[in-house]
Amino acid sequence: MISIGMNVYRHWRYMVSKKPVIAPSKTTIHWLMVTLSIIAIPHFFYQPLWVAAIFTLMMGWRAMNSWRRWPLPVDKRALKVLHSFFAVLTIVLVFYSYGITIGRDAGVALLTTMAAFKVVEVRSLRDIYLSCFMGFFLVITHFFFNQSIPIVVLMLVNVILLICCLITANESDSSIKHRLKQSSIIVLQAVPLMLLLFVLFPRISGPIWGLPNDAMDIPDSLPDSMTLGEVPPQNNAITGMSDNITIGNISQLIQSDAIAFRVKFENNQFPQRQDLYWRGPVLWHTDGKRWLPLTENQKRHETTSKIHVTGNALSYNITLEPHDRRWLFALDFPTKYPQTMQTRLSADGGLNSVEAIKQRVQYQLSSHTDYLFNPDSDPNLRYGLNLPDDHHPRSQQLARQLLESSTSKTAYIDAVLDYFHQQNFSYSLSPPALRGDTIDQFLFESRQGFCEHYAASFTVLMRAAGIPARIVTGYQGGEINPVDQILTVRQRDAHAWTEVWLPEQGWIRIDPTAAVASNRVDFGIRDLLPAERRSPAAIANHDRLVEIWQSAKNNWDALNSAWDMWVVSYGPERQLDLLKKLGMHQPDWQKMIAWLAIGIALIFVWIAWTTLRQKSVSKNKVQRVYQTFCGKLARFNIIKRPHEGPEDFALRAQHALPEYQQQIASINHLYLHVRYRGDTIAEDFFQAVKQFDPHP
Amino acid sequence: MTQDGTDRILHAINSVILGKQQPVKLALACIIARGHLLIEDLPGVGKTTLAHTLATTLGLRFQRVQFTSDMLPADILGVSIYDPEKHQFSFHRGPIFTQLLLADEINRASPRTQSALLEAMEEQQVTIEGESFSLEDPFFVIATQNPLHQIGTFPLPESQLDRFLMRIQLGYPDHQAERALLMGEDRRQMLKQLDAQITPLKLLELQQIASKVLLSDALVDYVQALLAYTRQSGQFYNGLSPRAGLGLIQAARAWAMINGRDFVIPEDVQALFPGIVQHRLQAREHLPSTDWVNDILQQVAIP
Repeated sequence: MISIGMNVYRHWRYMVSKKPVIAPSKTTIHWLMVTLSIIAIPHFFYQPLWVAAIFTLMMGWRAMNSWRRWPLPVDKRALKVLHSFFAVLTIVLVFYSYGITIGRDAGVALLTTMAAFKVVEVRSLRDIYLSCFMGFFLVITHFFFNQSIPIVVLMLVNVILLICCLITANESDSSIKHRLKQSSIIVLQAVPLMLLLFVLFPRISGPIWGLPNDAMDIPDSLPDSMTLGEVPPQNNAITGMSDNITIGNISQLIQSDAIAFRVKFENNQFPQRQDLYWRGPVLWHTDGKRWLPLTENQKRHETTSKIHVTGNALSYNITLEPHDRRWLFALDFPTKYPQTMQTRLSADGGLNSVEAIKQRVQYQLSSHTDYLFNPDSDPNLRYGLNLPDDHHPRSQQLARQLLESSTSKTAYIDAVLDYFHQQNFSYSLSPPALRGDTIDQFLFESRQGFCEHYAASFTVLMRAAGIPARIVTGYQGGEINPVDQILTVRQRDAHAWTEVWLPEQGWIRIDPTAAVASNRVDFGIRDLLPAERRSPAAIANHDRLVEIWQSAKNNWDALNSAWDMWVVSYGPERQLDLLKKLGMHQPDWQKMIAWLAIGIALIFVWIAWTTLRQKSVSKNKVQRVYQTFCGKLARFNIIKRPHEGPEDFALRAQHALPEYQQQIASINHLYLHVRYRGDTIAEDFFQAVKQFDPHP
Repeated sequence: MTQDGTDRILHAINSVILGKQQPVKLALACIIARGHLLIEDLPGVGKTTLAHTLATTLGLRFQRVQFTSDMLPADILGVSIYDPEKHQFSFHRGPIFTQLLLADEINRASPRTQSALLEAMEEQQVTIEGESFSLEDPFFVIATQNPLHQIGTFPLPESQLDRFLMRIQLGYPDHQAERALLMGEDRRQMLKQLDAQITPLKLLELQQIASKVLLSDALVDYVQALLAYTRQSGQFYNGLSPRAGLGLIQAARAWAMINGRDFVIPEDVQALFPGIVQHRLQAREHLPSTDWVNDILQQVAIP
């Protein structure tokens, strides 16, 4: 690293002293072009087509110059004008595509194209350096879009290639292997510093350290006015629970394999599969088609909910992916919730954070799966009985019939579940679209649907019979990765169920879907998905391959979740936690800065020390002992210079210490014979040095 | 015994060439390492005398060729002449068929003549009209050269400079030596009285012994570090060639032998380094060659 630094410096000095510009070699330019292209290509997927077009055009120009000697802007005035024209065109296109404000996307598009423009202009070493530094910036911009392992690996390779370019610019005759090795060494040397900065650089939550606002692709929240069965636009990359369900919504969510959150249970104590209900928003109000949660005002009308729990608490840590909403998911029923995020439990049992979740967050929770929720009374009971007037006539009639034949409320609930079970209802992920009175149509005509159909119609039947009921949306189940024992809940695990309120029992969870398809709850959604969603179609018929594929996938998922939890979401809490574990008392940013400074100073002292000593760090005992000998002489300020031969040094020492002339001469004689003649008298040499003890 | 031999030789030469112990020793090391020698200096500082003395003390047959700009290759190599009596061509050997050839002022000859000589040096044989003639063994060339800025010279190209193992400079004698020189007898006369100290056969033997001087890994590391530095420092247009590295090691062995050792130490390399690299490297900056040679030695740590 130092020698390259020296090289760069010498080149610079050389260039300054002699005016003519040194043209970089063709190899250098080719390396630069290839490297910048590799860096830019992943961006083309996010950016409008013209970015790729202009980039390719400019690179092609330069390539034709070195292949067929096409003229460059510097050669002809007309081409210079053309080059400038393209640059102006780019700026116009940026404004056209992104508007006046230069945000993340516009900035990256501009940087990508400008890097290509610069390549066409390269004619001196200085230009090469400039292009490489632009390349480093481009590397960083990738992390605005994606922080996954593959992109990090790709960018690491790109950094190595960029350093290769810098080396090539200075040593164009060295072999590719040598350059790659050299630049890998440089990158490796940077690792300790990188780790130190990563761990200790103070993480402060807030917009300063966060990514630009548009950096996270958070989907627009689904509109309230959404009507039945409407398909949300496909380009919404991430799906999330919606605030209200319109029948047909969760089915969209089930199409997605995106991760909703990951759960690490303490001591790997997993609850029963049937208890894995992750509570999300609770829906109360309905107009016959749409279901809505309580308004903020109604929620605020909260008396403290009364929760009675029995059994053992389960502690777990949730890593929640950003969904741009305030709710947090918890296993029913959370008894201890995180203080750090100012979490509040709303009147209907939902956990909410004060701010919308725009970044991946982690929180610690405890839950009890045996609980009674507001067994005595609930302030919102009246909302749990509301049904729109003049809707669902046939359903109301059914409720009346069933209620007449039931002796109690519990019996009525069982009767409804039996109704689902015995009539010809079936679970389907692609039910026919519903028209008109959706509930009636579902209950009496289509009879094909999944969780939300059952939850909604069950709730209607309950309310029609005067039992307070509400729909709870959230996730059910999740997959435990055998590699790291982390439970991953994906969007496809989205689920909706019903809670009814019975006196003295409080809110009881009833999952009508289970009455139709008990597999959904007992084994999770996975088995109900078509086979090609579980493993690639090509290998679906080979059990062994499916097994291998599954195990590879488990390992990869485990790696990714470790990466997401420890690296990408290494935020303020994680940092404080880690530093406490490392033994720092009450870490704060001053302490972190202080330790960071000490760490960096140590690293630099170490680098300086090793560089100054160069390779004098002895590899074997003979050299070590000889250094002891030199050390003994150093006490008399007779210091061996690195380039000084042993004989010369010995003569100098003898001259300075005439009283030890004999001893020095004999030690030197032994050393020369051992080291340069290969004599096997090393022990004599060791002995002589040991006995050598000069006094002033 | 070997050191006695070399000491005797050095003593004999130093009695003629006064105050030049180091260059004389280098010249001897060069010959023991089977290398050709280039002496570069101003006229009149004793280049020819040194060559002549070396030839005499080593008991070698000696030829001297004064190079001029109108000289042809045949003037050195020899020429085939038609013999009317025998009705055939017979080859008349040129001055190169000797044991020690003094090529005086080699840079005055045209490149064509220079290269004829240098090819013969490299291949140890001369080919004329399809017929090859081996040169003698031992065979050495000591070339002298005037500094390049003098008028009417054809500088030797780098590839040919590389054929010379060493280039040394004599320089003016110091005050005392010059006084002794001025007051002493005529050098030519002294040369005539000088006896050969060894035979050519003995010289071959010395070369054999020198080539067996021990070379440790540690020392090869050092030589490689030196070579690498000249290639990577960016101070030179080209780094040292492997041939230069080989030469450095050969010469260092001879030097160690002259100093009475049967193994090479870093100081041997350091002593020879200037003579071996100065004519092979071209610095980017115009500094005196002694400056950058010392700079290399000081920058490279002994491993």
